[in-house]
Amino acid sequence: MHPMDFEYVSSPTLSDAVRQYTRFAQLGKRPMYFGGGTEIITLGRLHQVNPDAVIDLKPIPETQVMAVQQGQLVLGGSITLTQITDAPWLGEAFPLLQETVHEIADRTARNKITIAGNICGTIFYREAVLPFLVCDSKVRTYGPKRGKERSIHRVFNREARLEPSEFIVQLVTDETARTAPFVHIKRRKAGRVGYPIVSAAAIRIDDRIRIAFSGVCPFPFRSSAIETILRQRGLTVRQRVDQAIQRIPSHLILDDYEASRAYRTFVLANVLEEILQRLGGA
Amino acid sequence: MSEAFSPWNMAHFSTNGSETTVVGHSVGRKDTSLKVTGHAKYTDDEIESDMLHAALLTSPHAHARILSMDRRRALQAPGVRAVLFGTDCPNHTGDPLADRPILAIDTVRYAGEPVAIVIADEFHQAAAALASIDVVYAPLPVVQSPKAAYEPNAPLLHPDVHTYRRNRAEANPIPGTNIATHVPIRKGHPDDVWASCDVIAEVEVSFPQAHHAYMETPAIIAEIDPDGEMHITTSTQSPFTIPSLIHETFDVNPSQVRVHVPFVGGGFGGKSSPYLEPLVVAASKAVGGRKVKLRCEREHAMQTLPCHIGLEAKVRLGAKRDGRFVAVDITYWFDGGAYADRAVIVTRAAVQDCTGPYRIPHVRCDGFCMYTNHPPATAYRGFGHPEETFVIERAVDVLARQLHLDPLEIRRLNAIRTGDSTPTQTLLTGGRVGNVPGCIDHLKKLMEWDGRAVRREGSRIIAKGMCCSWKTSSTPPNASSGAIVRVNEDSTVTLLSGVVEIGQGTKTALAQMVAEVFAMSVDRVHVVLEVDTKEEPEHWKTVASRGTLLAGNAAVRAAIDAVRQLQETAAIVFQCRPSDVRISNGVASCAHEEKAIPIGDFKNGYAFPDGRSVGRMVIGRGSYTIEDVTPLDPETGRGSPGPEWTVAAQGVEIEYRPADCTYRVLRAFSVIDAGKVIHPALALGQVKGAMNMGLSLASREGYVYSGRGVVTNPQFRVYPIHRYGDQPEYHVVFLETPDEHAPWGLRGLGEHGLIGMPAALASALSNALGVDVNEMPMTSELLWRIQTGG
Repeated sequence: MHPMDFEYVSSPTLSDAVRQYTRFAQLGKRPMYFGGGTEIITLGRLHQVNPDAVIDLKPIPETQVMAVQQGQLVLGGSITLTQITDAPWLGEAFPLLQETVHEIADRTARNKITIAGNICGTIFYREAVLPFLVCDSKVRTYGPKRGKERSIHRVFNREARLEPSEFIVQLVTDETARTAPFVHIKRRKAGRVGYPIVSAAAIRIDDRIRIAFSGVCPFPFRSSAIETILRQRGLTVRQRVDQAIQRIPSHLILDDYEASRAYRTFVLANVLEEILQRLGGA
Repeated sequence: MSEAFSPWNMAHFSTNGSETTVVGHSVGRKDTSLKVTGHAKYTDDEIESDMLHAALLTSPHAHARILSMDRRRALQAPGVRAVLFGTDCPNHTGDPLADRPILAIDTVRYAGEPVAIVIADEFHQAAAALASIDVVYAPLPVVQSPKAAYEPNAPLLHPDVHTYRRNRAEANPIPGTNIATHVPIRKGHPDDVWASCDVIAEVEVSFPQAHHAYMETPAIIAEIDPDGEMHITTSTQSPFTIPSLIHETFDVNPSQVRVHVPFVGGGFGGKSSPYLEPLVVAASKAVGGRKVKLRCEREHAMQTLPCHIGLEAKVRLGAKRDGRFVAVDITYWFDGGAYADRAVIVTRAAVQDCTGPYRIPHVRCDGFCMYTNHPPATAYRGFGHPEETFVIERAVDVLARQLHLDPLEIRRLNAIRTGDSTPTQTLLTGGRVGNVPGCIDHLKKLMEWDGRAVRREGSRIIAKGMCCSWKTSSTPPNASSGAIVRVNEDSTVTLLSGVVEIGQGTKTALAQMVAEVFAMSVDRVHVVLEVDTKEEPEHWKTVASRGTLLAGNAAVRAAIDAVRQLQETAAIVFQCRPSDVRISNGVASCAHEEKAIPIGDFKNGYAFPDGRSVGRMVIGRGSYTIEDVTPLDPETGRGSPGPEWTVAAQGVEIEYRPADCTYRVLRAFSVIDAGKVIHPALALGQVKGAMNMGLSLASREGYVYSGRGVVTNPQFRVYPIHRYGDQPEYHVVFLETPDEHAPWGLRGLGEHGLIGMPAALASALSNALGVDVNEMPMTSELLWRIQTGG
């Protein structure tokens, strides 16, 4: 049972959502945008998320788009992870995304979790962002200054960097990147459902491997320094992997109930080695 | 009931016969339709408009002084009726050792310990008010492991342990230490024979506490009538123990306490000891006896309620060159947590069967149940036996390797048999122990054992591991069960029994037994699935795989009693001898009488057409009290802990990838001597379910404590358990060596699939790695650490 009272409103349009948000904020209330609601329900019952009002973005048509427009794949922020895994055409249009989100949570939760909700979530794994990070996708947001389109790297750095009333409307991805050779690897403590010890999404464009991680640190990231080391010539795979890992400040590597820091580093090394082998960087 | 009516003495009916028409067959479960249609009601489904709701404030610290507590703000919160602190109800509770205040007083001893309870009109109001209770703590040093607790200079968690009320037969705390109980075994001359051993294996074993992972988190409802009668509805395996616990805690008459148990959504031992019931009674008292419900969230179930016990142990096993075991020396330091609860009895259970099902003439064993600053521990499926099996079996494997003997053959060589004696010097006569060598022989075939534990397949290693296990119950000498059988107008019968339906299906098995006695279809036997302690005859506890022995005997006796009453009345009607009356398929008949009369016509005696009547209402009654159980001697452990031993041989086959230290279990095997399988499908389900639980526990489960002693993974999102699809192939075989005290010779079965799984998995992984794996959970991280020393 959710222990706190809160208001629920659903917004039919982009501008209405921002208006509602601003109105609640002006009344001194804490509004939150609402996608699938899984975090608000599960963290709310523990008093870790306490909105006074939630604004449901799902009725906004722009957030429900799933289409290829002039070679660009446009995905609305309210698309659920199940919609992504169950759309056969996405298996060709963006297979890395399909594989990555299929490993998030379980089917029941994926039926609810939206793609923007996962990316903007409180729980820090946010694995849905990994394919967009490696594909240099564009993010269309809507906020007080109306619509904007920016690089994912401007909008997302460890976590979503948005104005208080701003939200993700769509994610836009080029054909070259989303159809490039790819690998997604997720390693867990046990079983086939659960948070990652390491989750890594990678693509290869020309001779360059792009790679983004979740589960290694308490935030997802992509590092150009790591990518540069990984394509250095004259070093063995193991040497490149070891040097790449050294670029991650060790105090940032997670050390918790899923895995110790040392073991997580071992798993990361194995994952990187496998990615290099499978993407031909070896 | 006099022994004259014992089924074993009845000329016309014997449960020793092998010809059965209902028993031994898979029939429809009695609880199925209610459950699959969603109509089955659990405690939390009871919602009434005048009910108040409680929420618990628990300690964030594993060990701290409480400097101050202030409820003024909380009392002003919307809907709040009362806020209780420990000082408001300073009664101690706990069985067998009353070491626990209902709410913490002055000191908290584990993170999750109840500190305050708020009672409000609505649950969300009670939950919201928790944040308005101001408590100031001063943290104290935390005792994180049972061995650390055993150190002479360890902080003393219960300096007043000698003043606590206790059951002297069951808890033996040592004042001035953190030892909540000490249980010793001294058999033979364990200290003098080591020189005669050709080889000695020494192993240390450890694992953390874990969660039972029952589906239904517990809920409790309490109400007190103006005349003092208490009504408790609760999710428990032991309703009949609650009146006496409430009596001891609050000084009310046990007869004034009525306990109602609807369906229970799994227990696995986690609901065997009443833990929060006294607190909810105190909460109801605080609001004038009004009905109060407390519902535990999963986080409470995992941090506040008792859990699976943790262990650190060391074992020394000595043998002759030919593999014959000579002596064993075992010390267990159990992690019993902050309050003893049933952990002290789990300790005794492990000690009493510490050798596993092997003949070892000289035994020294010391079981210490240690107080630590972890959550309290209680019964868990297997009750001390998965734990003792893990310890002894690791040593058997090491010994076999040291002697270059086949691990299966060394087990067969030492298998305990009729005529041997247990660590507690119980002589195994008659059918008291099942057929261990027979189980081993079947296991050999089942897992295609050819003496080779390991083979390579490319980058993978396929490895097998095995173990043997046994278990008797740790029932007190007066553990009893009663049953009533009524005959209905429609010639069906209704069985009343105090067994709780926790998903195990015991009441279906009992219905089969009654149907067998009545020689009719099980569809004609009704069972009452809910339990009310003032309506159903007492059943000790729904634990220890004892339902079919205790309640089975009672039900069979009640059915025989009812049949006898029917025969007596029918004999008058038929004008024949009672023994010539045949009761079958719902009718009474007699060889020299054409007419058959439905048994429903005898329900209240028989009325002739002319209005005369003969006979009386038919009420069959039966009861059974456990036999052959005596207390253990406090110096030597000599005694008889249980009536019979179910034995098993188990194995697993795994696929291991050395490159990343990952593995999966391919196949798991259990050969169990069930005495008699009453319901093949249920028995198979019990065993496979237990194997699944054991493999989950062994491979991934366990609390991860912070450096300050807090359980950091108290949710299923971060506490992995086997999910559908994680399970291996299961292969199960039953042997049937009868126990003559039980109906049709059956033996307990509910726990035994689990008992050997941790040991068998450790055996297989040790073989795969070539290094011993002596810890749980056996995660890839553990294997990596063992393989690399990382």
